[in-house]
Amino acid sequence: MYTLGIDIGSTTSKCVLLEDGNKIIATSLVVAGIGTNGGIKCMNEVLENAKVKREEIAYIIATGYGRKNFSEANGELSELSCHAKGVHFADPEVRTIIDIGGQDAKVIRLNSKGILENFLMNDKCAAGTGRFLDVMATILQVPIAEFETQARSTKEPAKISSTCTVFAESEVISQLANGSKVECVIAGICNSVASRVAGLAKRVGVKEEVFMSGGVARNGGVRDALERELQVSIKYSEHSQLMGALGAALFAYEKIGAAE
Amino acid sequence: MAALQDILQEFHRIAASPQEQMKHYLAQNKKIVVCSPVYTPEEVIHSMGLLPFGTWGTDMEIKEAKAYFPAFICSVMQSILELGIKGAFDGASAIVIPSLCDSLKCLGQNWKYAVPGIEFVPMTYPQNRNTTYGKEFTKAGYQRVIADLERITGETFEDEKLHKSIEIYNAHNQAMREFSEYAKNYSVITAADRNAVFKSAFFLEKSEHTALINQLLEALKETELADVKKIRIVTSGILADAKELLAILNDNNIQVVADDIAQESRQYRVDCPIAATALDRLAEKFATMNNCSVLYDVNKGRASYLTELVQENKADGIIYALTKFCDPEEFDYVVVKKICEEKEIPLLLIEVDRQMVNYEQVRTAVQTFSEMLG
Ligand code: SF4
Repeated sequence: MYTLGIDIGSTTSKCVLLEDGNKIIATSLVVAGIGTNGGIKCMNEVLENAKVKREEIAYIIATGYGRKNFSEANGELSELSCHAKGVHFADPEVRTIIDIGGQDAKVIRLNSKGILENFLMNDKCAAGTGRFLDVMATILQVPIAEFETQARSTKEPAKISSTCTVFAESEVISQLANGSKVECVIAGICNSVASRVAGLAKRVGVKEEVFMSGGVARNGGVRDALERELQVSIKYSEHSQLMGALGAALFAYEKIGAAE
Repeated sequence: MAALQDILQEFHRIAASPQEQMKHYLAQNKKIVVCSPVYTPEEVIHSMGLLPFGTWGTDMEIKEAKAYFPAFICSVMQSILELGIKGAFDGASAIVIPSLCDSLKCLGQNWKYAVPGIEFVPMTYPQNRNTTYGKEFTKAGYQRVIADLERITGETFEDEKLHKSIEIYNAHNQAMREFSEYAKNYSVITAADRNAVFKSAFFLEKSEHTALINQLLEALKETELADVKKIRIVTSGILADAKELLAILNDNNIQVVADDIAQESRQYRVDCPIAATALDRLAEKFATMNNCSVLYDVNKGRASYLTELVQENKADGIIYALTKFCDPEEFDYVVVKKICEEKEIPLLLIEVDRQMVNYEQVRTAVQTFSEMLG
C-alpha cells in the first residue's frame, strides 16, 4: 500500500512516496513552493519516478507552509510534527532537530519514541534563516553553494551582526569597503546565522543527538559554525530536505492504520 | 439552542462595535469616561453617575500615533492613542490612564498633546499595595481622580453611592467568574465567543452586562453538554482578542478552559471586601489583587498561580500570548517558563501584536502544539 507525503515550503516542494509505511519508493523535489503549481508538479514527478498511478495512493498528507492549499491531500499536519516523525524514522537516536528553511528557523525536541516534546520557531525576522543567506549571496554575488568551501577556507571570520538582516547587509558592505576578504565575510555570515539559531536552540534545550535539516543544512559553513556555537556535533543527511515529506507519508500510513 | 446563539451574537455585536455603544450612551445624555488598561477605578466613575467605557485599543495600522512614540513600544497603547487622535472617543468627557507600566505613563503624557479635547486624568498606583501606607497612597490616587472628574464633569462624589456601585461591580465579577467556570465545559462556546463575552464588558454599563451574562448562563444551563474531545488550554497574557488568533484556536480543536489574560479574567478575580468607607473597600481590593505582570510581586506568584489553573481545570497546556514589546509580560515569561519546565506543563509562547497582519507562523505554532497534545 502506498502513502504520499508532500511538503510545500516557501521556495521548494518535496514528495516522498512510501510503501507499507516503511519503504521509500521514490522522492522528488521541485524548486517552486507555495503559491505555484510546484506541489502538483512535485507529486506528478514522484509518481512518474515510481511508475505508480495517483489512484494507487491510499492517503496523502500535506505539510509545510502550503499545506492548507493542496487540494489533492486527504489531510494536513504541521511541518514540525512531520519533521520530527521523518527524522526519527531516518535516525531514531536524534533528540534535537534544528531546521532552517527559506523563511524561518525551528528547533524541535523529540523523545525516544519520536514524539514531539517541545519546539520553538524564530520570530518574524529574516535573520537566522535561508532568506538572510540569499540576501547576502546577492550582495556578494557568490552562489550559496560556494559558501561552504569559502567559509572553510579562512580562520578569520568577519564580525557580522545577527540581529537584523537590514543592518547586517550594510555591515557586509562596509566590511567589503574596508577591504575584508570575501571568504572572511562569508564565514562571518555563516556565524551570524548560527549564533541566531543557537540562541533559539538553547531556549528549547539541546539534547544530543542533534540533527540539522531544511535547505540551509546543506551549507557546511553554517553547520560548522553551529557545532562550534552549541559545542555538539551535528548530524546531517543529504536527504535532510525530505524529512518533512517523509514524516507526512508516515503519518498518512498511520491514518490508514487507524481507520482500518 | 437558538436562544443561546442569539445571546452570544449580542455579545459579539457589542464587542465589535464600541463606537456604536458610545453613540448609544451619548444619545442618552450619559457622560462617558474612557478607561485605559490595565486597572482603573471604574467603580468610582460609575458611582458619580458617569459611564466608564473601557478601551484596549484595537487591531489597526498605526499612523498618527507614531509621531508620539518610538517604534519599539507596545501596540496596545499605541492603538489607544491612534483611536484618540482619529476621534474614536469624541464626545467622552475624560480618559483615566493608570500608571501601571512605563508605556502607560508615556500614553498619559502624550495624550495631553495628541488628544487635547479629552482630558487626561492620571491614576497613580503605589508599587507596594498591601501595606497601610500603600493603601493610603492608592486612596490618594482615587481622590485625585475624583477631584479631576468633579472639575471636568460637574458631577459629585459620595461615599454612599460608591458602596452601591461596588455592589454592582462585585455582582458583575461574580457573574464573569461563573461564566468562565461554565464555558470551559461547553464546546459550543468557542474561543471567539468567550472573548466576546469578556470584551463586551468594557462597552456596557456593568449591571446591563451582568443581566446579559445571567441570560447566557440560563441558556447554558439548558444546553446539553456535548461529548467532544477538545484540547484544554489555559491562556495567559495581556490580551488575546485578535479574530485570526481566536479562529486559529478553534481550527485546532482548542477549548479555553481558563484564562490569565489581563483583558479577561484578571479583571474579575477579586471583589471589594467590607471596610470602613467605600473608598477603603476599593483600596483593599487593589491591595489584594495579584498574579498579574503589572502588579508588583517580588515572588512572581503568577507563575505558580498559572500551574494551579492548569491543575484545577485539567488543562493540557498553556498558551502564553505575549504582547510584542510588553516588558512586564516579557519579564514574567521567564519565571513561567521555568516553572512549567519543572512541572512538565506544555507551554507555547506566541507573540501577538495589534498591528499583526500575517498569522501563518502563529497558525503553525498552535497547530503543532495541538498535534503535540492531541
Ligand atoms: S501591553 Fe504591556 S506594555 Fe503595553 S500597556 Fe499593557 S502592560 Fe503596558
